[in-house]
Amino acid sequence: MSTPYAALILEDRVHGSLYTDTQVFADEMDRIFRRGWVFVGHDSEIPKSGDWVTRQVGRESVIMVRDRGGAIHVLANRCAHRGNRLCWRERGNGNSFQCIYHGWTFGLDGSLRAVSHKAGFDRDRAEMPLDRAGQVGLHRGFVFANMSGDAGTLADHLGAGGRDLIDRLCDLSPTGNIRLSAGWIGHRVESNWKMWPESDSDGYHLDFVHASMLRAQPDNYYHDTVIGGESANVSRAVDHGRGHTELDLRPSYSRELAWLGVGRDRVGAYCDALEARHGKARAERLLWDGPPHGFIFPNLFLGEVNIARIDPLDVGSMVHAHTVIQLEDVDDALNRRLLRQSEAALGPASFIVPDDAIIAERMQLGFQGLRPPASGSSASGGWIDLSRGRAREQRQPDGTRVGHVSDETTNRAFWHHYRHVMESRA
Amino acid sequence: MSATELATARPLLVPEPLRREIEAFLYLEARLADESRYAEWEKLVADDMHYWVPKGAADYDPAERLSYINDNRPRLATRIRQLMTGVRHAQTPPSPMRRIVSNIEVLAIDDVAGTYTVGSNFVLYELAVQSGATLRVWPGRVTHRLRRVGGELRMSQKIVELVTATAPQWNMAFLI
Ligand code: FES
Ligand SMILES: [Fe+2]
Repeated sequence: MSTPYAALILEDRVHGSLYTDTQVFADEMDRIFRRGWVFVGHDSEIPKSGDWVTRQVGRESVIMVRDRGGAIHVLANRCAHRGNRLCWRERGNGNSFQCIYHGWTFGLDGSLRAVSHKAGFDRDRAEMPLDRAGQVGLHRGFVFANMSGDAGTLADHLGAGGRDLIDRLCDLSPTGNIRLSAGWIGHRVESNWKMWPESDSDGYHLDFVHASMLRAQPDNYYHDTVIGGESANVSRAVDHGRGHTELDLRPSYSRELAWLGVGRDRVGAYCDALEARHGKARAERLLWDGPPHGFIFPNLFLGEVNIARIDPLDVGSMVHAHTVIQLEDVDDALNRRLLRQSEAALGPASFIVPDDAIIAERMQLGFQGLRPPASGSSASGGWIDLSRGRAREQRQPDGTRVGHVSDETTNRAFWHHYRHVMESRA
Repeated sequence: MSATELATARPLLVPEPLRREIEAFLYLEARLADESRYAEWEKLVADDMHYWVPKGAADYDPAERLSYINDNRPRLATRIRQLMTGVRHAQTPPSPMRRIVSNIEVLAIDDVAGTYTVGSNFVLYELAVQSGATLRVWPGRVTHRLRRVGGELRMSQKIVELVTATAPQWNMAFLI
């Protein structure tokens, strides 16, 4: 029986079984993670020809590789002969991929180049490349892919809002390019993957979930931007459409560079470099606004200076993997500061995300045993309320929907798009 | 001494009273961490402390690549301050923990700096009571650097190389 998504996802509430039902998870891996655009990595991670990293798209292991001509391919990490995994390390470099089972060799573009003992092999090699993502697209170095190849254009998927989030991040680098060179830290969480597009863009929980961080770090910029009383706080929750969301902290910063925790005296050369690129007015704006806090559907979190991706493992288990942006043409000291800032915020031993992970795991426990309600019945239990701020959020001329930072505008945005995808790709 | 040199170092034979003193320090440090006695544990820490849990082996510059933990003394003070708020939910209540410390070897002595570099293996058992109450096992190797401060041993470095360090990690909000 197919899952009645329209009955489980209403505008102001969703049913908890969506986080625990294995059929829902299987549908998601197909409709969202195989047939939709998914964030894979960044081109700075594979700067040279032959560089590769392994990633997952949905539950499928893939290789993101740069070929001799500089093109980036996203290949299934699965030998085209009998399916042996080709690469089992996190990263590497080479001229080709050789399978150690029977020695078939594949080019950096996935083509089958050589078959061992070839007299007994009567197929055309050209018919036997590695499986590959049907579409690969880049925006400012961010690599996205979809396996099916019929997901429309990346530009359509990102929309103006998604592109703007990425642009605002990259524009903070004096060259316009960021580098993801600091490695990824994986944080294993026993929760459904959907807890994270929700919690990473939830502006309602900080003074509770992160009370200990706020007390231990009285100078953290979240005090000004997300805490501070419902009426005093002017940060915004934004629905950019297509499931992309943002906590827009810009209106709350009380000084430039607050997001970096330093003043201009400490990073003067950086400020000058930004001014040289963008002109005085725009540079001042960028230094004040800082990097965005946004989520790009379905698996990319832009958390100020951090980048995180969501890797689902099964219906109740996932990895929140993060790295930190490194800027080009700046002092090492600035990039090191970003690294230290990232270690404080994200990862299994950081001051922030372990507390979110506990909430996600407890929600997952809370949803155990729920069954989808009989059709048409919303009276039975297990519903999650997402109604907060419906009355005060407003649609803007650019099509975005904007609420108070503590409103569930972002959660509704995620679910609205989720429902659309799950129904339209049924 | 570099990490690679330390890895191949032959253990030093040290006088028995010193060996016992070093062992006693390691066991006390382990017990205070196991019992989440944060303030008492912090008293074992020297002012120039480096507390490092690398991603993978401790063979890279933590200034250039991310680590699970890379605390200098002020960052470690923040960590402990946070744990002591009582609302660090990832450790509320604190995980019941016990670690077995073994294979203790004195790997280097620096007479000028007055430091002892000590390697040991450990297996830590943690019951993650904050969520699903699952038992998690954290095996690894620690390299301590110890120094005498006012006659007492203190640690100025604790490097924890987890066996699982290249794989994703569950919440590690306790003192590992
Ligand atoms: S499975 Fe790869 S060569 Fe046979
Ligand atoms: Fe959070």
